Order: sequence, then C-alpha cells, then structure tokens
Amino acid sequence: GTAYCRHCHRQQGSGSGSGSGSGSGSARPEPLEPSLLRFLVCPLSKRPLRYEEATNELINEELGIAYPIIDGIPNMVPEAARRTHKKPPAEGSEQP
Amino acid sequence: VRLCRCRCRALLSRPAGAVRERRGLAAGPEMHFGFQTVTEEERREKIYQVFENVAKKYDVMNDSMTLGIHRVWKDILMHKMNPCPGTLLLDVAGGTGDIAFRFINYVRSVRQRQLQRKLKHHQNLSWQEIFESYQKNKFNSLGDSQVVVCDINREMLKVGKQKAQHLGYSEGLSWVLGNAEELPFDDDKFDVYTIAFGIRNVTRIDLALQEAYRVLKPGGRFLCLEFSHVSNPLLSRLYDLYSFQVIPVLGEVIAGDWRSYQYLVESIRQFPPQEELKAMIEDAGFFKVDYENLNFGIVAIHSGFKL
Repeated sequence: GTAYCRHCHRQQGSGSGSGSGSGSGSARPEPLEPSLLRFLVCPLSKRPLRYEEATNELINEELGIAYPIIDGIPNMVPEAARRTHKKPPAEGSEQP
Repeated sequence: VRLCRCRCRALLSRPAGAVRERRGLAAGPEMHFGFQTVTEEERREKIYQVFENVAKKYDVMNDSMTLGIHRVWKDILMHKMNPCPGTLLLDVAGGTGDIAFRFINYVRSVRQRQLQRKLKHHQNLSWQEIFESYQKNKFNSLGDSQVVVCDINREMLKVGKQKAQHLGYSEGLSWVLGNAEELPFDDDKFDVYTIAFGIRNVTRIDLALQEAYRVLKPGGRFLCLEFSHVSNPLLSRLYDLYSFQVIPVLGEVIAGDWRSYQYLVESIRQFPPQEELKAMIEDAGFFKVDYENLNFGIVAIHSGFKL
C-alpha cells in the first residue's frame, strides 16, 4: 500500500503524477502568484529558483531539488522537496 | 518514484545535513512542550499536530478564550505598525490571516484618504489625464502594498486562504508554506515582519529572529505580538485560574480538543518574559528594541529595527 506523509501530503511509492491529491476533475493546478517569484528563494541555499510550469514546481538547479506548489501555495520546506536527478532510479531502490 | 522527504525520516539524507551539524544539534536535545519534556523533533511534531487539529476552529476559539479581546490586540498591533501604502509585509506564522487582512484594510483606508486629498486638488482633470489614470491604474486601491503570509502548517494556511476568498481579499496577498527558522525569502526584502501569537510555537526562537533580521530591509521593522508575563501577583493568580481551569474546558467543548488548549496555556507559561525576549531580539541584531504591555502583560508587543 502507499504510506501517507502528513507533513508534505505526498503519497510514497506509488509513482503517481502530481501530489495535489484530488482525483476527481481535471483541474489545472492553481498557478503561482507571479509577484511571489520576486521574493522566493530556496530555504536551504537562499539562492533563486526557477518556476517550472509543466510540473508546477520551483526548481533549485544548483542543489537539484524541486519544491511543489499545491493549491497555489508553494511548499517551501526542504522535507517536501524532491530530487530532480535526470537518471531515473532503479526500480524499487528508493522505496523507504 | 518520488522520494518523500518526510521530517520523520532520516534527516541526514537532506542536502542540509551539514547545516544541522553546524547548528550543533545532537540527536535530541531536551525541550519543553508545554510542561512536558520532549526532544526537539517531538516538539515540532506535536506542535504541528496541535495546529492541524485546531485550524478549523482557531478563530472561534480565539474569540471564546479571549472574549474577543484578541481582535483589539491585533488592531493595536496594526496601529503601532501604521503602514503607509507601498509597504511590503511578511506575516510569519500568519496562518488564518488575521494580521494580513487588517494590514490590507489599513493601507486601503490610508490610500483612500490619500486619493481623496489628491482629487480635491485635481478637480479639473483634462480628458487626457482621466484616460491616463485608467491606463496606469493610478488609483490602485492598495498603492502597491503587499503582504506575504508564511506558515508552516498547511491546515492553517488552507483556512486562511478560504477566509480570504470568503471575505473578498485577493489583491496584494499571497500564501507560502515555510518554516520561520528557515525562511524561503531573499535578504533585505521586506519593510515589516510580524509574528503574532506564533513565536511561542517556534522551536528555535533565536533562528527565527535571525531569519527575521535577514529578510528585513535596512530600516525595516520587526513586530512581535505574543502572550507574556503578568507581574502583578493578584492578577497573575486570576489569570492562571482562568487559563488552567477555563481554557482547556472551552477547548474541549468548542473544538473537541482539550489537550491542544492545555498545551497552549502551558506554552504561555514556558515562554520567556518581556525583558528576556527583548534581549533575544537584541541578540539577533535589532536596534531600539522595546516592548509595550497590553492588559497588564497578558500580551506584549515587542518591536525592533534593522538599522
């Protein structure tokens, strides 16, 4: 089964698409407030982020991590970030 | 497959594993959660849970516990801030938006008065000038003021966002999920930083204060509204009685959650008193640090400037 992490509302292990959670209805994910991009940086490195519209994430290229935007609210805690490695992980190797 | 970096899991896998070591944190220094002794990790967990549980009833409980007086405290905070249009505010631990909405109302009314004064002097605008005013949105109601609400708890932010929609607040308002100890904002960005009834729940207050200093512009103001210590002995006794006998009961009756409100009243007792908090704020680099007691010290507003 899939474990549910309360803090970042992510489903583990299922490999399903975006983490927005709602199965019903198409709903393009709520866009990020554009003015926020002026202020937001990575909480770890305090370096600028790139907004990736395709996955609705804020990406720190240097550290290779992406912060999700859920319901229009950017989730800027390191625990919620995912690694953006190009190489796909071996099957099952990243299961907790 | 996405790696879920849950805080409950190995923190060493974080890229910032080194950061934790630099902070000199052992596996679990003892801290207080109300009157209990817990590790730092447990404390964060428990506090997150408290606010997750109370989020939907947060406003109702505030009104019941303080007999509506919390509204006055927050109004006083806003008057003390006295923001002018164009101010950039960061409201940390601002969950349900009370401070943010007040800010918007305040700058809107200041802006109104500004525009009225302006119009009095511009009674005979040419058509060209009128046309231009519509183009440039010269009469924008907030005067470019902006407030960013930052909170670590998703449930509180959800409630805040819904309230905003319900009350019709949209312009100049944004919501970010973030940690006061590790803010996702660039240096020297904000004119004012507020934290109302939130700093008590932060695990590393010194870090939060340092972050507050970092994100403020030079000349920026730090404002903290928080429960504090009552020095008058008689009043203190009555306050204790009310806190420990009435509030948890209200919590159970209204929110169905006695424990969370028990935590609340205990955490108030554990929080540093006025002078100690003042010293901590000074340690973070702020100048002209001062505080104002409200209701004999039940609540205090601390203020400091980044110079």
